[in-house]
Amino acid sequence: MKVLDKKLFRGIIGARGQTIAVAMVVLCGTASYIALAAAHRNLLLTRDTYYTEYEFADFEVMLERAPLTAALKLENLPGVRRVQGRIVEEVTLDLVGQEEPRIGRIISLPDRHEGVLNDIHLASGRYFDGEGANEVIISTTFADANHLTIGDRFKALIDNKKHSLRIIGTALSPEYVYMIRNAQEVVPNPERFGILWVSQSFAEMAFDMTGACNNIVGLVNAPDDLDEMLDRADRRLDPYGVFATVKREDQISHRFLSDEIKGLEVSARITPAIFLGIAALILMVMLNRMVRQERTQIGLLKASGYSNTAITSHYVKYALIITLIGCLGGCVVGQWLANAMIRMYVQFYKFPILRSRIYPDILARSMGIAIAFAIVGAVGAARKAAKIHPAMAMRPQTPKYAHRTALERATFIWRRLSFTWKMIIRNISRYRVRAGITAFGVMVSSGIMLIGFFSMDAVGYMLSFQYREIQKEDVKIALESERDRGALRDIARFDAVRRAEPLLQYPFKVSSEWRTKDVGIIGLTPGSQLMTLLDDQERPIVLGERGLVLSEKVAEDLGVKAGSVVTLKPLMGRVTKEVRVPVRQVARQYFGIGAYMDLEALSRILDEPFAMNAALVRTDPGAARKLSRDLKDIPGVAAVEIKEDTYANILATMAESMNISNSILAVFAGVIAFAIIYNATIVSLAERQRELASLRVMGFTAPEVASILYNENFLLSGLGLLLGFPFGLAMCKLLVKAYDTELYRMPFHIERRTLLLTGVLTIAFVILANLAARRKINRLDMVEVLKARE
Amino acid sequence: MGDPIAALDAGGQEAVFRVQDVEKHYQMGEVTVAALRGVSLDIGSGEFLVILGPSGSGKSTLLNIIGGIDRPSLGRVFFGKKELTAYSESELTRYRRNHIGFVFQFYNLMPNLTARENVEMATEISREPLDATEALKLVDLEERRGHFPSQLSGGEQQRVAIARAVAKQPEILLCDEPTGALDITTGKVVLKVLADVNRAMGTTVIVITHNAAIGQMARRVVRMMDGQVRDIRVNPQPRSPEELEW
Repeated sequence: MKVLDKKLFRGIIGARGQTIAVAMVVLCGTASYIALAAAHRNLLLTRDTYYTEYEFADFEVMLERAPLTAALKLENLPGVRRVQGRIVEEVTLDLVGQEEPRIGRIISLPDRHEGVLNDIHLASGRYFDGEGANEVIISTTFADANHLTIGDRFKALIDNKKHSLRIIGTALSPEYVYMIRNAQEVVPNPERFGILWVSQSFAEMAFDMTGACNNIVGLVNAPDDLDEMLDRADRRLDPYGVFATVKREDQISHRFLSDEIKGLEVSARITPAIFLGIAALILMVMLNRMVRQERTQIGLLKASGYSNTAITSHYVKYALIITLIGCLGGCVVGQWLANAMIRMYVQFYKFPILRSRIYPDILARSMGIAIAFAIVGAVGAARKAAKIHPAMAMRPQTPKYAHRTALERATFIWRRLSFTWKMIIRNISRYRVRAGITAFGVMVSSGIMLIGFFSMDAVGYMLSFQYREIQKEDVKIALESERDRGALRDIARFDAVRRAEPLLQYPFKVSSEWRTKDVGIIGLTPGSQLMTLLDDQERPIVLGERGLVLSEKVAEDLGVKAGSVVTLKPLMGRVTKEVRVPVRQVARQYFGIGAYMDLEALSRILDEPFAMNAALVRTDPGAARKLSRDLKDIPGVAAVEIKEDTYANILATMAESMNISNSILAVFAGVIAFAIIYNATIVSLAERQRELASLRVMGFTAPEVASILYNENFLLSGLGLLLGFPFGLAMCKLLVKAYDTELYRMPFHIERRTLLLTGVLTIAFVILANLAARRKINRLDMVEVLKARE
Repeated sequence: MGDPIAALDAGGQEAVFRVQDVEKHYQMGEVTVAALRGVSLDIGSGEFLVILGPSGSGKSTLLNIIGGIDRPSLGRVFFGKKELTAYSESELTRYRRNHIGFVFQFYNLMPNLTARENVEMATEISREPLDATEALKLVDLEERRGHFPSQLSGGEQQRVAIARAVAKQPEILLCDEPTGALDITTGKVVLKVLADVNRAMGTTVIVITHNAAIGQMARRVVRMMDGQVRDIRVNPQPRSPEELEW
C-alpha cells in the first residue's frame, strides 16, 4: 500500500492544476455551507438570547384607549404570564439645525426600570429616575444619524403642543431589531425615523391619558395557544376600541428578521449541494480519465497481486484527498465568512449582543457532506478500475468506434464545416457524457449568475414601478386628524405647490367569508393624477364611484377577484357598522398591501361627506424640500415625506446589500465555470495528445491546435449558456415565489442587458480557463508523444 | 563521419538537405545521453533515401531534426540555402506546413475523422494541395474514403496517412518505420506507394527503418550506429518493392 500511496501523492502533485480547480469548487461548497449554516445559527442564537433577556412580548394589542387596570386584568386570562400597558404614538420632531421634520414614535416605559416587557438595552446614558420630566431615551440609530448625544434637547409636537425633550440615553430594543416604521418602508431610514422612550407618567401627562394606555404587550406561557388567547383578549377589550392584535410572528421587525433567518436556512441547504455536486462531476471526469490512462498500470498491479479493494480505494482516496484539501480551506474561509456575516447582521439589524460561535457539528457536517459527494463522484471510476482484467489491460485498448453524427446527415452544412469543426463535433459525440457535464457546469454557473443579477433587476423594477408608475407625487403630507376640504385649500396656498390632491387613509377589517385581513384603505379622488393604480397588464385603473380596488396580495389572501363582494368594518373611530362593497378590480402592487376607493365613498362609510387625513402634492421642480421646511411648523401636520428621498434611501440600502451578495455569487459562478472548463480541457488534452501532436507535426501552429480545444469549449459553453438562461430564469421564478411575502413580492422582471452581462461574464470565465490551459497545450512534446504507441 | 564519395553522389542532383556535424544530447536526470554524435549528410532533391539502423542508433532523432520537430544540440542543418537550425518555432511550423509530409509507424490518424477528412485536414492548411479524393486515388483507397480509421486495416490506415502527407504536395516525405506495424504483403504495398510518389511527383522520400531489406529499393542507404553514420552505400540497381523479401 505504501507504494500506491506514493503514486497517489505524485499523481496529485502532477495534476495540481486540476487538483486546485476541484479543491476550489469544494472550498466554495463547504465554505458557503459553513458560512450560511453558522450565520443561521448565530443569528438565531443572538435573536433568541436577546428576546429572552429583554423579554420581547409574545403579543401586542393596539387600541383606542383603555384604562391601565383593564389592561392588567388580561393577566387573569389563562395562559397569560404578564402584561403591560403602554402609550405608543407618533409625533413630529423638530431638531435644531435640521430643516426637515423627523418622525418619532413615542413609547412609554414604566417609571421604574423593573420587569419591563420589550425592555430597552441602554447603549449609553441612564434610565428615567422619576425626577426630571421631559426626559427621553432615543434609539441609537436615530441618535447617530442625527448626531444627537446625551444632554441634547429637541422639540416634539405632542397633542399640538411643543414639548422640549432632553436626551438622557440611547438604547436598542428587541421590538426594533429591524428599525422600520411600517411594512411599506421596506428598509430603515434612521435619519427620518426614531424611537423615543419616555416614562409612563410623562406620556400620560403629555397625551392627556392619565391612567390609560393605547397599546398592550404581554408574555404567554405557551405561544402555541396564542390565537385562542388573543380572541379572548380581543373580546374583553372590545369596549376600548381594539383595532389590531399582533402576534409576535406578525410583528414587523421580527418578521423581517425571521425571513432573513429562514432564507439563510434554505440557502445553507441548496448552495453547498450545487457546488459539491459540480465537484463530484469534475472528479468523475478526472478519475475516469485517470483510470483509462493508467489501465496498463492497473493491470500490472493486479497481475502482481494487488487486490481490487486496494485499487478501488486508491482512486477513492484520490478524490478524498482533493476533497479534504478543499474542505480544510472551506473551513477556514467559511468560518471567516460566518464571522463577517454575523458582524454585518449585527450592523444591519440592531442587536446589543453578539453570539458568534464555532460549531463543531457544522464543520463536521460540511466535511461529511463533501466526502459523501466525493465518494459518489469517485465510485464509478474506481469500480471501472476494479473491473479491469490484468491480461487484457496489458494490450492496447481498442479504439472507440467513431460514429457519424446527426449533423452529417445535413450534408449541406457538414460539407461547409472546416475539418477542425468536424473534429470538434465528432469529439463531442464521442465523449457525450463529458461534453454533457461541461455544458451542464456552464449552465449551472450562468444560472447562478443570472439569479444574482435578476434580484437586482427585480428590485429595481419593483421600486421604479412603485415610485414612478404608481406614486407620482413629489411630497406626501400626513395630517394629525381627519379634516375637510379646507385643509386642501390651505395646502394649495403654499408657494411651491402646483397641484394637491386629498387622501384618506383608514384602517379596516376586510373580510370575505371566513377570511379576514386588516388593511389600510386609501381614498383617492377620481381621476387622480398623483397616484395611478395599474392592473396586471399595467394599464391604468379607473377608480369608480363604487367599489374597492384591491392589491394582488390582498385579493389573493382574501380569495376574491373582481366582482366579489367583501365586508368592511372600520378599525378605529366611532363608526362601527359593517358595509358590503364589491371588488371592482385588482391592482398590481409589489410591496406593502393596499386597498383603494373613491375618497368620497370612503368618507361616507365613515359618516362624513368628505374627509381627508393626507395630501399628495406636486411641487414646482426642485421645491419639495422647501415645501417640507415650510410645513414644519404648521399645526396639524403629522409628517411630510419627500418621495425621492424615500426612493433613493430604499434603492441605496438594497443596492448595498445586494452588491455584496451578487459579487459573491458571481465569484462562485466563476469558480464553477472555470473549474469545469479547465478540467475538461486538461483531460481532453491528455487523452488526445497524440492526435494534437500529429497536427503540430503536420504544420499546424500551436494556436491552431489550441483553437480546436478552445472552440470545443466555446461550443459547449455556448450550449451551456443557452440552457443556462432558461435554467436561471426558472430558478428566478422559484425565487419570486419564495419571496411572495406580506412585506413584498418580487416582480419577475429581467433586463435584456442582464442576459448580455451573464453571457459576457460566462464567456470571460471560459476564456480564463482556456488561457490557464494554454501553457500545457504549448508544451505538447511532439517527439515524445509520437515516439511510441501508448 | 560522412563518406565524401557517397556525399558527392548525392550531389548528382542539388542537395535539398545539408546536415553538418549534428549532435543531440538528452539530459536524463543526472546523465547526459548522446543520441547523435556528429552526423554529416547531404540529401539530394528527388532522392529515395533509406536510413538504416537498429533502435537507439539515432535515426529517428535525425529524422525529427530534419522534419523540424526537434532541434540539434550542436551543428547545423540547411534546407536548400536556408539554415533550418536557425528557424524560430513559428518558422519551423510554417516549414513543416509547406514542405514536409510525415508518415509514422503507427499512422497517427485522427480516429474521429474519416479517411477523406483526415486527408482534408492536411489540404486545409497547405498552399497548393491535391484534391483529397485525388490523393486517396494515388494510394488506391478512393473507395474507402468514407471509412473511419477503426474500420480500416493497418495497411489501409498507413496508406491514408501517406495520402494525407502527399496531399500537401510536399517536397519531402519523411517516413518513420512506415512498415513497422505491417505484415510483409501489406508492407510491400505501402512501399510501392512511396516509390510511386517518389517517381511520379519527384518528391524526396526519406525512409528510416531497422529492416535491411528495405534498403535494397533505395539508391543510397545510410547506415547508422550509436548516433553516427557508419557508412553510406550506393545500390547501382535499386530493386522494386515487389522483389523485396524479409
